[in-house]
Amino acid sequence: MKKIFAMLLVLAMAFTMVSAVAENNDEHMLIYGCSTEIGGDFAPGAWWTNNATDKMIRDLSNDCGTVVSNQGGEYIMNPTVCESITSVMNDDGTKTFTVKVKSGLKYNSGKEITIQDFVWTTLFACSKMATDVGAKLTGYLTIVGGQDYYDGKADTVTGLHILDENTISVTIVADKVPYFYDITYAGFDAFDIAYWLGEGYGVADDGNGCYFTGEPTAEKIKDRLEYARFNAGTDRVSTGPYNLVEFDKAALQATFEINPNYAGNFEGQKPSIKKFVIVKAESATWNDAIKTGAFNFYDTLTDGNEINQAMDIVEAGGFKYVQFDRPGYGKIMFQCDFGPTQFKAVRHAVAMLLDRNEFANTFCQGWGGVVNGPYGTGLWQYQEAEEWLDENLNPYTYSYDNAVAALVEDGWTLNEKGEAWTEGIRYKKVTEKEAGDYAHNVTLADGTILMPLIIEWSSSDGNPVSELLKVMLSENPDTAKAGMQINQNVMTFSELLNYMYRDTSVDAKYGLKTYGMYNLASNFQPAYDQSYSFTLDPDLLAQGYNQNYLLDEELDKLSMDMVYTVNSDETEKYMDMWKQFIARWNDLLPEIPLYSNIYITLYPEWLENYEQDSFWDFSQAILYATIAE
Amino acid sequence: MTRYILKRIGYMIIVFLIVSFLMYSLYNLIPSDPARAEMEGLKKSLKPAEYEAQYRQLRQEMGLDDSLIVRYLRWIGLWKDVKGEFNGLLEGNMGYSRFFKVNVVDAIREPMKNTIFINIFSTIAALGITIPLGIYCAVHKNSKFDQSVQVVTILGYSIPIYIIVLIFMFFFCVLWRVFPIQGIKTPGITYANNWEAFVDKLYHIALPVIVMTFSALGGMTRYVRSSMIEALSMDYIRTARAKGLKEKVVIYSHAWRNALLPVITSIIGWFLGIFSGSVVIENSFSLSGMGKLYWQGLNNLDFELVLAIQMFYTVVSLLGALLIDISYGLVDPRVRIDK
Repeated sequence: MKKIFAMLLVLAMAFTMVSAVAENNDEHMLIYGCSTEIGGDFAPGAWWTNNATDKMIRDLSNDCGTVVSNQGGEYIMNPTVCESITSVMNDDGTKTFTVKVKSGLKYNSGKEITIQDFVWTTLFACSKMATDVGAKLTGYLTIVGGQDYYDGKADTVTGLHILDENTISVTIVADKVPYFYDITYAGFDAFDIAYWLGEGYGVADDGNGCYFTGEPTAEKIKDRLEYARFNAGTDRVSTGPYNLVEFDKAALQATFEINPNYAGNFEGQKPSIKKFVIVKAESATWNDAIKTGAFNFYDTLTDGNEINQAMDIVEAGGFKYVQFDRPGYGKIMFQCDFGPTQFKAVRHAVAMLLDRNEFANTFCQGWGGVVNGPYGTGLWQYQEAEEWLDENLNPYTYSYDNAVAALVEDGWTLNEKGEAWTEGIRYKKVTEKEAGDYAHNVTLADGTILMPLIIEWSSSDGNPVSELLKVMLSENPDTAKAGMQINQNVMTFSELLNYMYRDTSVDAKYGLKTYGMYNLASNFQPAYDQSYSFTLDPDLLAQGYNQNYLLDEELDKLSMDMVYTVNSDETEKYMDMWKQFIARWNDLLPEIPLYSNIYITLYPEWLENYEQDSFWDFSQAILYATIAE
Repeated sequence: MTRYILKRIGYMIIVFLIVSFLMYSLYNLIPSDPARAEMEGLKKSLKPAEYEAQYRQLRQEMGLDDSLIVRYLRWIGLWKDVKGEFNGLLEGNMGYSRFFKVNVVDAIREPMKNTIFINIFSTIAALGITIPLGIYCAVHKNSKFDQSVQVVTILGYSIPIYIIVLIFMFFFCVLWRVFPIQGIKTPGITYANNWEAFVDKLYHIALPVIVMTFSALGGMTRYVRSSMIEALSMDYIRTARAKGLKEKVVIYSHAWRNALLPVITSIIGWFLGIFSGSVVIENSFSLSGMGKLYWQGLNNLDFELVLAIQMFYTVVSLLGALLIDISYGLVDPRVRIDK
């Protein structure tokens, strides 16, 4: 026994010694806790993977784009990199963008950035090489001559030119212009061709379009590309505000140091925080981890309960927080081509039988709100049209009486025998077309088809939103009193998606119209593009484009015209269409927005001037942050 | 012996093929479309016709339009792939991780190193404590110390590991601040040499190792104890004592050697277990290990990754069973496996 105790004592001493050795004395070291583990893939764009933390790391280490998004998520020319971007519509319907970049831009290594470094990634996206190395690049579909180059029918991309040492031009195929976000077509970013593809390769243009010199092939560049993609260290050539000086694969920890050669972001802003580290935060232990200093910056807390815990930490001292709105919402989604949910009045009635304000308040624990259309409050479109939206959209306020009135007006006035409804489930007399093969239909002796107000709801397992919806909607006494029955069908989320997409490639059963109601969530991107989301084209419907199966010509036209008939400088025209689209959507109600969260980011109180927003994340906000004296 | 081993290896191959087919079929029953998942990110940036063409092409490239048998044979390496080559598990290709977008071997490398590193320490610590403790308790059966150990080990045995993790975290990390709460490296540290890096890593894995050891104490201590109690009650022990042998010789040479036989299965099992990570511990302490990787693979429907991990464990288990059988013969002269 004595020996065992002695051994334990020695162990304890060893650990104490070790802890003394390993202590990190760096004062005010920013340690960023991320909820998504670092994948370690730092290739430009999302060539292979789209891990959120990897993207942030890419954005921190690469920032020399000619087109960037600003604080509101709007795409703009980057004046730090670009002299000018001009565009001209060609007679054949194509559009040419001419981009003039500034001289004297440098990589972190001090090496001068050349025009080839701006062009090669676009050329690469047009080449078969990209697909052969497994990159998901489709630039060849957008640029004139890209498809021929990709297919090997041409030696150059005729729509991509190097005009001089500072100027590039790119011509976009006719069926992709005009496009409201077409300035993104003029987006070029600088990546050192020698670092990414290896020595001996370049891009040239003899007047017929760009082509690679040095005859690169997928086989030749594969190893170098692989190395560059996963490499972190002093030999990593990049342009962003920070150098990725280390990525410890075992610890999944990335260390950044300031890039002294960084030219600044689109506002000329350069970072002042010299070094920071990104580590993984675990959702179960983040609270203790932040209290014990495992990290001191926790980005984007989304859960109301967690946010309340964060508030306790702030109250205890040492931390501050910034709050911002989610660029999306949790929702009920209807499929509108069969069953009761094909009728607008039913969708309205469902909305009015759910107290959405109470729902959002309960689910988000005070950290969320309700929107009345397909937008998040972080979108610049919302911010421009806030007043108009408040005045013109129907909020579908909770009202049993209004829900019943809507149902009665729509003909849900019968019982299962075709007599006047008094209690139980309401029925409606429907045409054969409306009836379809909905399983709950009843056919009377005289051939009359009655559809019951029974909605089959697909909800994912282990989902607190589903639990709350069950209590507040399907088990709401007013729902039954109104003559409506909502049957919850619990399944895995992937199963839910299969039914929603009607994906017969997985199983024929998913092709059947089974569930009229789903609950899930969606987020919006800075490029708000709803095109094809309400298509009437049967082929596209079969491909799962119009997941609501809402066949409304006006909505389809608005969703397409909003982006495909407006040029990027026609903001007023765009906003007019955007409002029309939102209003039409709000009336047809293919979805019921349930809650739009308020997110918070927790950071140490010695960090100043840190302002984050929906489309302005850590990689951008950190440039403006300073450490208190 | 050689004949026996060869025969067992033959059986192992058959079992491996059956298990591989069952596992592959099981994962293919899950309703998902890998091509659709792969293409989802491109849906908004492509026109519908472009998207559909690319989706169809990808399905073809991934061989998803072929029958289950063909896909299985391709995966195992007994059927030519879409490029016309045999390139499956049997050719050493463990597959491609759709989630990490790297070969499975590359996805596994670092987590495997971490898992082995942690498990070696916890296995040695657990065996180093449980065997002497079990022997001591058996020799001093029903003493106060034995009864105390029984209580503590039953606690370690009965409490779910996630509770143990949280309790240890609270005391060692939050209250006493003895150990770091997560990770295997001090953030932002620059090491002067490899020794410092090694020491820092040890410091970080100390608490996970302690938790793993504590959780393992119950089973093995009680197993060794009961095995020893049974051995000590045998007639040959009484004879040995009657011969006047020293108590140490009686315990370690006579009793322990005989008590070892049932224990050896567990001990070898533990050593084979150094390849497998704990989902709970690795997720709680934010360690990148095999348990976490496996969990990520399942969550992201990365079936090639999950299947590769499972087939690796299948091989390890089959080899382990063979090792256990061979070791029986070595430990107990009464067992002759080649007869």
